[in-house]
Amino acid sequence: MPDTAAAAADRDEADCTLVIERVFNASPAEVFAAWTDPTVLTRWWGPEGHSTPECAMDVRPGGAWRTKMIGPNGDHIVSGVYREIVPPSRLVLTWGWQQDDGSRGHETEVALTFQPVAGGTRMRLVQSLFLSKEQRDRHNWGWTSSFNDLERMLA
Amino acid sequence: MIRTSAPPLHAVFGALADPTRLAIVERLLREGERSAGDIAEPFAMSKPAISKHLRVLEDAGLIERRIDRQWRVCRIRPEAIRELEAWMARYRKFWDISFERLDKIFAERRKQENRDA
Repeated sequence: MPDTAAAAADRDEADCTLVIERVFNASPAEVFAAWTDPTVLTRWWGPEGHSTPECAMDVRPGGAWRTKMIGPNGDHIVSGVYREIVPPSRLVLTWGWQQDDGSRGHETEVALTFQPVAGGTRMRLVQSLFLSKEQRDRHNWGWTSSFNDLERMLA
Repeated sequence: MIRTSAPPLHAVFGALADPTRLAIVERLLREGERSAGDIAEPFAMSKPAISKHLRVLEDAGLIERRIDRQWRVCRIRPEAIRELEAWMARYRKFWDISFERLDKIFAERRKQENRDA
C-alpha cells in the first residue's frame, strides 16, 4: 500500500481508535446523564458479573472521576479526568485502570457524542489508544491495517 | 477482565509513543524482516541512535533481533501485536455489555412512562 499522507490520515481516523455506535431509546439529555449522574451510571457500568459500589465524579473540565467495580476476581478501579463537557451533546474524558501495584495504567481517551435521531439518541464512543488528539495526529498507527499486515506476513 | 498485564503492555505503549519507533514498527509490519542498516536508512539519525530505538522496541517485546550470517536483522514479534489486538477486544466487550444494561434501563423507563400516561 502506498504510504501517502491521505492513506495515513484515513488509517489514523479509522483504525487508531475503538469506535462504537449505538442508538438508545432516550433523549440526548438522558444519555448524557447516564454518564454524568452517579446514581444512573452505577446501574449499567462494568463488565458482566460486576457491580459498581463506588463512583465519584467532579463533572467539570479538569475534574476527576473514579469508579470501583467489584467482580468475581476482586476490585477494579478505573479513573480519569473530564476534558470536555458540553451537555447534552458531547463528553470527553480520560481513562486509566489502576494496576495491581497501585499505579495507574496506560491512559486512553474516551470521546462521546450524543445526537438526536428518530427513535432516540445516537451515541458514538471513540476510545483512542493514545492520549491526546495532538499525540495521535503525530502517529499513523493503523490498527486494522497493522493486523492485516501481520496476517499477510505470517501467511 | 480488562486489567492489563502492567509491565509488558505498558512498555509496549511507551515504546510506540515515539514517532521514530512507531515508524519502524509500521515498516516491519509492512515489509517483514529488515536489517538494522535498512531500518536506519530513511531516518536522518545516527546508527547508534537507531540502535537505541531498536533496543527499546526489543525490550518492550515488540521486535526480535537475530544474526543472519553477518547481518543483524529485526522482525516484529506477532505475540506483541496480538496482545494489543486482544486489549482492544476486551474494551469492546466491556462497552457492549455495559451498553446492553443501559439499554434495559431506558426500556424500563419508557415502559414506566407508558403505564403512567
